[in-house]
Amino acid sequence: MKALTSDRPFLALLAVVLAVAVLLGISMVSPFGISAYLANAIGQFAAFAVLALALDLVWGYLGILSLGHGLFFGIGGYVVAMHLLKHSSEVTGKVPDFMQFMGWSTYPFYWAGLGFFPYALLFAAAVTLLISGVFGYVSFRSRVGGVYFAIITQALVYVAMLLMFRNDTGFGGNNGMTGFSVLFGWSIGSSGVVIAMAAGSVLVLAVTLLGCRMLLGSRFGMLMIATRDDEVRLRTLGYETLRLKLAVWCLSALIAALAGMLYVPQVGIVNPRLLAPELSLEIAVWVAIGGRGHLIGAVIGAVLVNALKFWLSAAAPDLWPFILSGLIVLVVLVFPNGLVDLAKWKLAWPMGAKRLASETPELR
Amino acid sequence: MRRFCVAVTLLVTACASSQSIAAGAQRADLLGKLCGDTASLGDAGRILTSLAADGSRDDRLWAAPIARAVIDRKLRCDASGAVLVSGEKTLDVLTQAPRMPTEPSRSPLLSLKNRGLFETAEAALALRTAPDVAGRAAALHTLERRAASLPEKLFEAAAEQESDAELKAQMIAVAQAAALNSADPLKRIAALKQISATPDRRALTKVSALLGDPAYAANPAFKRAVDDAVTTIGRGIAIGDVLATLYNGLSFASILFMAAIGLAVIFGLMGVINLAQGELIMIGAYVTWLVQEGLRHFAPMLLDYYLIIAIPVAFLVTAAIGIALEAILLRHLYRRPLMSLLATWAVSLFLINLVRVTFGTQNLNFVTPFYVTGGVPVIGDFIFTWNRMFAIVFAVVTLALTWGVMRLTPLGLNIRAVMQNRTMAGCIGIPVRRVDMLAFGLGSGLAGLAGLALSPIYSVNPQMGQNFVIDSFMVVVLGGVGTIVGTVVAALGIGQINVLIEPLWGAVAAKVIVLLMIIAFLQWRPEGLFVIKGRRK
Repeated sequence: MKALTSDRPFLALLAVVLAVAVLLGISMVSPFGISAYLANAIGQFAAFAVLALALDLVWGYLGILSLGHGLFFGIGGYVVAMHLLKHSSEVTGKVPDFMQFMGWSTYPFYWAGLGFFPYALLFAAAVTLLISGVFGYVSFRSRVGGVYFAIITQALVYVAMLLMFRNDTGFGGNNGMTGFSVLFGWSIGSSGVVIAMAAGSVLVLAVTLLGCRMLLGSRFGMLMIATRDDEVRLRTLGYETLRLKLAVWCLSALIAALAGMLYVPQVGIVNPRLLAPELSLEIAVWVAIGGRGHLIGAVIGAVLVNALKFWLSAAAPDLWPFILSGLIVLVVLVFPNGLVDLAKWKLAWPMGAKRLASETPELR
Repeated sequence: MRRFCVAVTLLVTACASSQSIAAGAQRADLLGKLCGDTASLGDAGRILTSLAADGSRDDRLWAAPIARAVIDRKLRCDASGAVLVSGEKTLDVLTQAPRMPTEPSRSPLLSLKNRGLFETAEAALALRTAPDVAGRAAALHTLERRAASLPEKLFEAAAEQESDAELKAQMIAVAQAAALNSADPLKRIAALKQISATPDRRALTKVSALLGDPAYAANPAFKRAVDDAVTTIGRGIAIGDVLATLYNGLSFASILFMAAIGLAVIFGLMGVINLAQGELIMIGAYVTWLVQEGLRHFAPMLLDYYLIIAIPVAFLVTAAIGIALEAILLRHLYRRPLMSLLATWAVSLFLINLVRVTFGTQNLNFVTPFYVTGGVPVIGDFIFTWNRMFAIVFAVVTLALTWGVMRLTPLGLNIRAVMQNRTMAGCIGIPVRRVDMLAFGLGSGLAGLAGLALSPIYSVNPQMGQNFVIDSFMVVVLGGVGTIVGTVVAALGIGQINVLIEPLWGAVAAKVIVLLMIIAFLQWRPEGLFVIKGRRK
């Protein structure tokens, strides 16, 4: 609750995020400032931060750990990739390589209309809502929770990955989709567009942060935290937690899909690796390292881990997995609430971890 | 008595000499034909082939080099018979004594048609006389195409003699195929009976080819025989397919069970999701490999038994890793199962990369010991393979031992008590901490054994563990946390469903359907098939 009542850290973070956006905006219009390469990295970190926020919403504030958020991220990514390819081929008049490879000369029916961006946006939202809604409804109704829910979501994303590895589904198979050339009519490779996409992603992050903040400050947010802390009591008091959980779950899935839509144009490729169980686990790692149940924690965790990965997987590729695993163990043992504990300037060693009593209880 | 002996000796001598005289005459006759005109050369080729089928062992050995020599023009005919040129030496064909050909001499030249005859003869002789399996197999391969024109006795005799089982089966198959197309309907019917005795898809192809044969319409007895054969083979194949599906399902289930049983112990006891379980399996496989390599260096005669020698090693090493993991990391996280999940994921990441850095990413090579090689063909296309049987037996033994530990030992009693109610178990004096540690060791050791059992079947590399994690979690969730029975039943169910669906729609569909079924099932029983009664909430 403390994180909710004290505004200072949140405003500081928001100021940083907006400052980055402004900086990117400046370097877009002036010849000075950040290079396109760095801007692209920042844009990707922002997309990951949005994704971490989505998971923090359900895990940190509702107590439901999903190890399958990569699924919704992937839906967003795939739909935006479809949009970009369709858009490109309306300019060039050719179907993408992977379809020529399959011997198809026209798009499958489910690609219809995706060249029109608002429709693609709606399409991604509809697919995400459908899948998250159905899955959430059956799971929450039978009160599958805790580790069971985590495992089943992981199996879900794993199955989705297996499906996407097939070449005959019309989504590029194991090579995925790449070769995007045009975004809203502009060349996607030009540095101006790269920086604009990064600035857009950072702005979306700021908006998502503010939106989540407002949601959590509302009565609805109180109910979310009450559900996390003692769902049985809340039900006994006459609240319908099923609908509440379902609503937050679907909202979180939508935010994750949005993150995917930001991410894919910036990396220029989408493939089934997006749906690998490891990525979904990593999202939980970002949130846990940053601080579960804190919006700031999710953002810091995502940016920190990805920046480290960005730097180390180039500088010392063999070392990166060891550092990541060490970081996870350190945080889990020493900072039960993630790196936001650092703000309290008191290290709690494993034996005395109770001193930093976990603010966000685990649901079993 | 002595007179009798003398008589017998005389008789035997007489017989032997008369036989050799006959053979000598035959050989001289053959030699005459070899040195004769085109027509008699053709006769000679046919005689050579028939020698391969029913000549004595001596005759065959004598004839074997001749066919080759004629093809290569290494046979020289002269006034006093013929000489065989082999390398530096020249031997008289009849007497086998070294001598030079007397002038004038000539080498018989084969016409195109005769050349085919001699090639057949050479292969037929090689089939009976070649000392190595490869030579005989090559000869069989040559003969296969003209099997119908060859004497049937040739393949039967060769098969009877053959020491290599696989080649022998091939010879019998060729003989049967030849008999099927013979001119004599009775022989064909007999061959049909023989073929339908071993019903498999190859037999079905052979027999159903006869449905278009003119004799099928003309000869009612033959028609009936073909129809009977088709029915019998069809039934055999169906039975074989059912058995094969069951057997494959059982072996897949035993692999799933092996992967999941350790997980079930850990998950059930502590509610700790051990995402490093797959990596413990991987380490079990690597330890098995190390044992194999150690034996190769220090005790090569025991190499074949490495799978058995590695059992205690794999168990102890992975159990030790598990205990260390519990003592260092997981005991701080019992109240926070979701964090223990992330911590064990970190461990799995660490182990994967440690193994990758130490051993590299390539697949390990395992010796296949004799007790996991090959199999017994049962019926249809069902082969009872020993490597799958090894996995099944291993799983059954592991199941029995785990059950014994959990039900019959004081440790098992304590583990069950802690599973049901940790706090209460502590109150009545059970050393909860030590039980946790030992149970974690047990669960990890079982994972190591799974790795051992998998090493003759799967490819072993640093990534292998990840393939099992999700499958084995599905087993545990479906079976109900921490119940051995549940794990067995769920493994059997998932294994069979997978094997049933895979041939129809593929592996992906099987995974999707299994997952959907589990989700649907959890609607009905959120805690799985078998629930341990206890206060877990």
